[in-house]
Amino acid sequence: MPVINKLNILTKSIWVFHFAAAACNNCDIEILDVLTPRFDAERFGIKLIGSIKHADAMLVSGIVTRKTAHMLKDIYAMAPQPLAVVAFGSCASSQGMFKDSCMRTVPVDEIIPVNAYIPGCPPRPEAIIDGVVKVIKKLRGEI
Amino acid sequence: MEDKKREMLSEAKSAAGGKDKIKKLLGEKIVNWQEKNPKRHYIEIKKEHLRDSAAVLFTELGLRFNIATALDNIKNMEVLYHFSDDTTGVIFSLRVATDRDGGEIPTISDIITGAKWIEREIHELFGITFTGNDNLQRLLLDPAWPEGVYPLRKDYEYGRKEELSEEDEESLRRPNIKIDDEDGDKQCTIIPIGPYHPLQEEPEFFELKVRGEKVVSLNINLGYNHRSIEKISEGKHWDQVTFLVERICGICSCSHPFAYVLAVEDLAGIEIPERAKYIRCVIAELERIHSHLLWLGLAGHFLGYNTVWMWAWKYRETVLDLCEQISGNRNHYAMMKAGGVRRDILNSEIDDMKANLKTIVSKIDMFKGAVLDDPVIHARTKNVGILTKEDAIRYCVTGPTARASGIRQDIRKIDIANSAYGLVDWDMIVLENGDVFDKAVCRVLEMYESVKIINQCFDRLKELNEGNICTEIWDLPAGEGIGRYEAPRGECWHYVKSDGGNTPIRHKIRAPSYMNILSNEVAAVGGIVSDAAITLAAVDPCYCCTERMQAVENGKIKYDWESLIKMSQEKTMKLKAEQK
Repeated sequence: MPVINKLNILTKSIWVFHFAAAACNNCDIEILDVLTPRFDAERFGIKLIGSIKHADAMLVSGIVTRKTAHMLKDIYAMAPQPLAVVAFGSCASSQGMFKDSCMRTVPVDEIIPVNAYIPGCPPRPEAIIDGVVKVIKKLRGEI
Repeated sequence: MEDKKREMLSEAKSAAGGKDKIKKLLGEKIVNWQEKNPKRHYIEIKKEHLRDSAAVLFTELGLRFNIATALDNIKNMEVLYHFSDDTTGVIFSLRVATDRDGGEIPTISDIITGAKWIEREIHELFGITFTGNDNLQRLLLDPAWPEGVYPLRKDYEYGRKEELSEEDEESLRRPNIKIDDEDGDKQCTIIPIGPYHPLQEEPEFFELKVRGEKVVSLNINLGYNHRSIEKISEGKHWDQVTFLVERICGICSCSHPFAYVLAVEDLAGIEIPERAKYIRCVIAELERIHSHLLWLGLAGHFLGYNTVWMWAWKYRETVLDLCEQISGNRNHYAMMKAGGVRRDILNSEIDDMKANLKTIVSKIDMFKGAVLDDPVIHARTKNVGILTKEDAIRYCVTGPTARASGIRQDIRKIDIANSAYGLVDWDMIVLENGDVFDKAVCRVLEMYESVKIINQCFDRLKELNEGNICTEIWDLPAGEGIGRYEAPRGECWHYVKSDGGNTPIRHKIRAPSYMNILSNEVAAVGGIVSDAAITLAAVDPCYCCTERMQAVENGKIKYDWESLIKMSQEKTMKLKAEQK
């Protein structure tokens, strides 16, 4: 019997929870921007939701600071599995220019498992959509 | 032209008047008066005279308190208290010194409410105690941060970090305010607003203490977003810092570098080419339009008008396209550079850009007509969340928050060095009531002014030759510089100090929301819960600027942010039905 990829069931109408750790806002705004009329990701059933309990995916933006590290852990623990985690933007992917900050902890992928990275400062809406498509393909096992 | 000259002359005169007056009133208290240039004065005084002197400047002369900057000089600690004269654009900074270890300075937070937060901040980051201030709890640092370690002192190495153990993390989970049963708080409930919800752009955490529907008090928790940018800046080259400060905030990503380069230019005393001045204003005003549209959309959303949200963000795209055309990026433009700008605008593209800008005007007209004449919006926002002029002065608020409360204050009118604001014709929007409605109207009308400024800049750019956009700076002398710019949210403030080396030895940043958010203490208190969402949002808070906030686990959570917005939206529906 083939191994069933549990994440495969998430590939339709992905509901997204957005976790802004300590971001500069630009990633957060570009995420909203993807939902508004010009790019309109909502057409594909992708929408932001208020509770991690309803989420299929989580976007993490910004560096993880001392005050937000435990929240990220808590929220991830509350999430129903399977959950696709995306490190969004340069800060979340690699701590970016805040790697020397005394308030930093560790990059996102050292705290929780990350499925995909969307780099950029901030990522352009086209890059975000491309990232979403890749995440879906990955979940389906196509790449 | 004659008029402008006369205006400038009379301005110079009244600036001198202010200076003489202060000299007379402070008299013998002045130890040393350093005039860096006619707009920047540093007054050294003894610390025992600080309270009297601050009262003279703030209460008697009506100057606005900007912020305080602490400096670690290794041999001692120094605190600068900056006061701004908003009629002339002159900044007077009181300089007080204290011991490095166990240094004490008398508090001024009872005289100036707006100094509450900064005293807490300096206490935790530098270890200076403010005698008389009974609330010196941590503001930005977490409870697990080790005692006696001050990250902004010089002996705290660049790049160092403190370990955070599992037990320490446990201590961060405690709720912040408690219901005190003996205090007659029995019927009170704590409603946490924030920090994590997609409708909130960033972690922000308000704890509202409510009795029934009435908000009794408000506790604001900060520090979730604190990234210690001021410390990182001390480890970067002067030119690298422009990119760093851009990432303080994505929405003010032109205002912070603008204020920073003005500070560096103030330090070096240089003037930039005329073409650079116009380009700076074009990109800064485009940012203002996009920021105001963004706020308008979110405000609409909080009130239950999602159409407004979608519209505002749709038309905002045009502005972002213009920004991309000029700078190559939708956000984080990287246009500012000490001495000028990084990129030129092609004269051949200007007509095209003007045509695009024209399409935005008709959209703003639509918002003005459809949104601000709407009876339901009137009912939801008029007389809600009022910030009176007196409170606005007490809390030292800036930007549209201040101008909607009847204060004539706009940095673009008074501190116009190295920008084109003095060369073009535009008006300051001032309104009287200080409620949410006026704050919205103020922003809508300001967009028209921005378009006016950009068009004039474009016209002038066409007359100038391309190419001359930057004065190269090879050496920065030792000294201090202050730069400030009117960001979409209010006055953005940067202070830099140089010892003649490659990096700033101190870089103080004060974002507008730092002053504005505190004013929610009065604007939201006394209102009802369903209005809290829009009132808190009305100052256009920006936490990543402010700090450079999750759940209260006491089982008393009654409403979360989502149900709050739902309540807000239901109220709109009810009013709509009544209107019919």
